[in-house]
Amino acid sequence: MFQTLLHNFIQWCYYSKDYAFIRDSKYGVPLVQSLHLFGITALLGTTVALNIRLLGIGFKRIPLPLFADQLWPWAKGGVFLTIGAGILVFLPDPTRYARSGPFQLKMVLLLLALLYQFVVFRKVLRKDPESRPVMRNVAFASLSLLLWFGVGWSGRAIAFFQ
Amino acid sequence: MSVLDLLNWVQNTGWATGIKESSLLFPIIEGSHIMALSFSVGMIMILDMRLLRISFRSETVSSIMEQLMPFTLAGFAVEMLTGVLLFLTQAVKAYGNPFFRIKMILLVLAGINALYYQIRYYPKMAEWDRTATPLGVRIVAVTSLALWAGVIACGRTMAYEL
Repeated sequence: MFQTLLHNFIQWCYYSKDYAFIRDSKYGVPLVQSLHLFGITALLGTTVALNIRLLGIGFKRIPLPLFADQLWPWAKGGVFLTIGAGILVFLPDPTRYARSGPFQLKMVLLLLALLYQFVVFRKVLRKDPESRPVMRNVAFASLSLLLWFGVGWSGRAIAFFQ
Repeated sequence: MSVLDLLNWVQNTGWATGIKESSLLFPIIEGSHIMALSFSVGMIMILDMRLLRISFRSETVSSIMEQLMPFTLAGFAVEMLTGVLLFLTQAVKAYGNPFFRIKMILLVLAGINALYYQIRYYPKMAEWDRTATPLGVRIVAVTSLALWAGVIACGRTMAYEL
């Protein structure tokens, strides 16, 4: 069933001109790309801040669970805005992106990053990092930073590489 | 020698053409310019959220500001460095690009906005550090968010006209 769905989606993408107006209007693409960047700024900004706190490099006067509580809505909002605007970047030009190596890598990393963020990282943030061995905090933070910045860099690579 | 002559000379120096023609250096500098948004604008966003009392109400403004500042400044240093390099590699086109010009004006306005906050409200911060923020401070925060969104959107849009 999943294969049929995927097949239908690819077919639809291939023939659809429904979203071509975004590409054809003068400022359509820059506009959705800007929204994509607003989301990235919120998402990566909170990711960096949370990891700085997790690693004990900064924000030490605020306990991590409180810090995370305050930033989590912005991380989540950033994720939704980035993906929502990202879909609007993808739809007018589906075949260009589907064929791109960096885009395929980006989608794999995005899936892993989302899983990690909502299944593992969220729980990591609930506990005081000082109660864990330093190396475990380093491992949790490295994975979060590698995954999200990996998504970012592979996204940027779409513009430059096949 | 006119401005254009100067810009033309700069973008044709060996190292400027070297960066522009490098298949790796240019993407890395451009990518860094975007990824550093997480430190620069990302951190400013957190401060603005505190000034608007949307996040971190239990913390004082001065404490949040102090803890954010080193990372914010590091972020803006990277933005400045990578931004200048990107400009110099395509100086003539960028200089004539309307979105580049709007971006520079918005940057100056964001600087003035921050300076106004430092001069007018920062010295008297003890008076409102824990309580409701003065209306003026809230206006500064909203202005800051709007200006930085404009800077990001103009930066993204100018790339389509280079």
